[in-house]
Amino acid sequence: MTFEDALQQALNGLSFGALLFILAAGLSLIFGMMDVVNLAHGAFYMLGAYVALSVTRATGSFWAAVVVAPLALAVVGLAIEPLLLRRLRGRHLDQVLITIGLSLVIADFIRLRDDWGWGATVRALPFPPGLDGSIAVAGSAYPTYRLFVVAFGAGLALLLYVLHRRTSVGALVRAGVDDAEMLSALGVDTDRLFTLTFAVGAGLAGLAGVVAAPVFGLQPGMDVDALIYSLIVVVVGGLGSLSGAVAGSAVVGPADTFGKVLFPQFALALIFAIMALVLLFRPTGLLGRVRIGR
Amino acid sequence: MSERDDLASTRHAGIRMSRRKFLITSSAAALAAACAPASTGGNAATSAAATAAGTPGAPLKLGQLLPFTKVYAELGNSMKRSTDLYLKLKGNKLANRPVTVIYEDEANDPQVGLAKTQKFIDQDKVDVMLGVVATPIAYAIRNAVDSAKMIYICTNAGGNALTRTTTDCKPSCKSPYIFRTSFSSYQISEPIGEYMAGKKGVKEVFTFVADYGFGTESQADFTTGFTKNGGKITGSLKAPLASADFVPFVTQLKAQPTKDIYSFFSGADAVKYIQAWTQLGLPAAGYKMNGAGFLTEQDVLAVVKEQANGAVTSLFWAVELDNPENKAFKDAYQKEYNLLPDVFAVQAWDGMQALDLALQATKGDTSDKQKLIAALEAVKFNSPRGAFEFDKDTHNPIQDMYMREVKTTNGVTVNTISDKIGRVTDPGK
Amino acid sequence: MSRSLRIRAGIVLLAWIALVTFPEWSSAWESSRYVAGIIRQILIFAIFASSLNLLVGYAGLPSLGHAAFFGGGAYAAAIAAQRLSTDQLLVSLGAGIAGATLLALLIGFLAVRALGIFFLMLTLALAQMVFALAFQATDLTGGSNGFSNVHRPTLFGLDLSAANDLYALVCVAFLLVGLLLWRVTTSTYGRALVGVRENERRMRALGYDTRTLKLSAFVLAGAIAGVAGALSSYEFRFVSPNDVALGTSVSGFVMVLIGGAGSLVGPILGAAAVLLIERVLPSELPAQMVLGIVFIVFVVFARQGIAGALRRVARA
Repeated sequence: MTFEDALQQALNGLSFGALLFILAAGLSLIFGMMDVVNLAHGAFYMLGAYVALSVTRATGSFWAAVVVAPLALAVVGLAIEPLLLRRLRGRHLDQVLITIGLSLVIADFIRLRDDWGWGATVRALPFPPGLDGSIAVAGSAYPTYRLFVVAFGAGLALLLYVLHRRTSVGALVRAGVDDAEMLSALGVDTDRLFTLTFAVGAGLAGLAGVVAAPVFGLQPGMDVDALIYSLIVVVVGGLGSLSGAVAGSAVVGPADTFGKVLFPQFALALIFAIMALVLLFRPTGLLGRVRIGR
Repeated sequence: MSERDDLASTRHAGIRMSRRKFLITSSAAALAAACAPASTGGNAATSAAATAAGTPGAPLKLGQLLPFTKVYAELGNSMKRSTDLYLKLKGNKLANRPVTVIYEDEANDPQVGLAKTQKFIDQDKVDVMLGVVATPIAYAIRNAVDSAKMIYICTNAGGNALTRTTTDCKPSCKSPYIFRTSFSSYQISEPIGEYMAGKKGVKEVFTFVADYGFGTESQADFTTGFTKNGGKITGSLKAPLASADFVPFVTQLKAQPTKDIYSFFSGADAVKYIQAWTQLGLPAAGYKMNGAGFLTEQDVLAVVKEQANGAVTSLFWAVELDNPENKAFKDAYQKEYNLLPDVFAVQAWDGMQALDLALQATKGDTSDKQKLIAALEAVKFNSPRGAFEFDKDTHNPIQDMYMREVKTTNGVTVNTISDKIGRVTDPGK
Repeated sequence: MSRSLRIRAGIVLLAWIALVTFPEWSSAWESSRYVAGIIRQILIFAIFASSLNLLVGYAGLPSLGHAAFFGGGAYAAAIAAQRLSTDQLLVSLGAGIAGATLLALLIGFLAVRALGIFFLMLTLALAQMVFALAFQATDLTGGSNGFSNVHRPTLFGLDLSAANDLYALVCVAFLLVGLLLWRVTTSTYGRALVGVRENERRMRALGYDTRTLKLSAFVLAGAIAGVAGALSSYEFRFVSPNDVALGTSVSGFVMVLIGGAGSLVGPILGAAAVLLIERVLPSELPAQMVLGIVFIVFVVFARQGIAGALRRVARA
């Protein structure tokens, strides 16, 4: 590999990592901080992407979709949490089953909605004009959008960090997971807090649908792929913190990209091998603290 | 998971009467529904008709195994549209027999495909079976249809072995009961290899394919054809099926000197590949995309549009193919569905057409399998792809291969026919 | 034995006899052959789900990689039969169990150090690596096109290739596995597993070697999954990478949950429910959506799964 190639691949790895972070942010919030196993995360991503597709078709504006899709998914989250998940706090296996059920319903619904322009056909979310071209990097053309994604990912991480640390909401959420009774005894409406957090997590998944889907495409099965990538990032990084998701994507993204180049015969399971390796050496993830109380 | 999960103990209070009733009635209903023979209507009446089936005029039952869920779902939809249209235009009769089609979902799973095939054979007792998109599923059902003497017309799965003589029938082998109206991966990969080295005079090619049976087979057959005429393969790269990100791979393509790239990808993979190809500036750097037809088929072009301009592929059909049958087919399809047909629709269409003509030759008789097989072997017709006939030895189509090039005019991107390679048949071994 | 236990044992025995002889007493029914095939598939997956239930429902080990042992057993059985040019049941079944056990030992050894979600993801990751191996090692496994022409077994001189003979074999295997799991879960070993699930630290303080307990459960579950895998290779005469794929692991997992984890009969009901919806439901209905709705409904209304619901009905 020449220096230029290495630089290109480093950019590839970085942008892939950014995409992974954007994808996983919502799951990191819901699973990592609310301790809710939301296996419908990939389906939320998928729904966000298809909503974005309809919005861009109707308005011709990518940026309109950036606003609408997360809002739409937040509404979905607001409806689902009290309806299906509220009574399942702490019951992880039930959460697994019900969120798998939810994701099956959402994915199949999308498959059936050919009349909405969704359906099973392979589709693409168009890149926003201005970001759809290429820029010269180290003398070679590089897709502008992928550079945008890096900036967006960094911006999102910063925004979430500020909301998490500088506001009391994050602390409230974590306190609620630890001891909901105590928190509500202190006068906090824990139910509303959790519903809100779930809605934000769903909204983030919807946002990922808009931002990541132009790269990853829209096709049947995209929900499963997105869920697996998100789980890998969240687990590798270590649950419970935003920095975990950042660490996870920062490691998995470049490792997967360079791994594909250096060990092509292992490309298929490479990302799983990376996760297995990390977990074997740090069983609770890179930045994880021991959370399982056994 | 948390030890607060409560699995075996019954901590919670009893449930309401209505919930209990709901559970009993729904489980009973599900069980009853499962046991009822599917789509066979009244048992006695059907048995009587079944013994009479094979005599002209009796209802004809066809089983179509196609994907309606998972990654190939749209191919199944396309092939169902085509089949439905054919029957509609024929007044839902083939050889004067009213037709019932039973569609089942192969769900991209050989176990499911096999289970549904057994259903066609044991339960629905279809007269002829058609379909199957994924090659592993076709390989999985090969023995089942062969030993049940069920005539099966494959309308997509292109694995070479399905219509060849192989050692120990591994991974599969031909059967007198199996016909194919699609292609063998050899047919869409080897001729373009010979053509590029021969007529086009390309000296070196780098190959980049999807890492699964179809991709590997296509790469091998292309290499055979290309090196046969003096060409040299300078290297190869493989991407896992359904890769999320094609940019790392295309970056490697750009890092190597050979400008002509031969690829096999289809569907979403082809879309992402072509997008990465354009975004990384490969056309400007002089790289040329070549491949087997599915790389730039209608489903892909509808998404990537002019990004695929200049891509050269080989296939037995293009939407622009200029013959009266194709024109009629396109018009009928567009009138019915407001969509352009794709090659999968053509394959399903030809499956029905071959069956139709064979049934006309046997005067609708499906009880004498050997007679129907002979009739199928003898069919010759003008398909939207041109002159169609089965190779009597392999039951694979003998068809014209075309070189196509992607062009965009007035905002519409299609494959235009740039040359005709000629009639190609699968070698059968 | 107490009277209620004797009654229950009697019912189970009668039910099993009715099940084994189904092809015979239903032979006049037009759908007999088809339904017998469905029952075979349900029983095979019931064995698979029951083995996973030992991990999820008893030992508290949520494994999302259990298909590695199912498919691994299937491949091992098929490859051994082909390489050794034999159709003997004991050879291929033995190879299937051996292969699955070895895989379970390897994966289990690496995975049981982790807990909770980390254990889950680790089993998922390691199973995906097995999938990649099955998908790419074309010379060994047939690769993505699958391993075809698997023969039905013969037991010494007895040819078991006829559908009804295979049916009997599957029923016998199902009974043996059921008896084994019943003995295991009601023994002190089984109770120790539940103890580990409830509070591993306390069990360790009481002197139990929890890691060995967990690993042994993992390996036993893997071996039983290998039995199911070998049977499936006979049933379909075909093994594909799908059999070791994540989808199959998830399928098994939801079969356990919806049937009612931690009960013996639960996985059987769960396997039946999932397979009936996925493979028998008329194709006009969206099977995946129906499945999803069933999952949601069950969590909301019947948290102990089908088994729990039936138990409540029986008690009423």
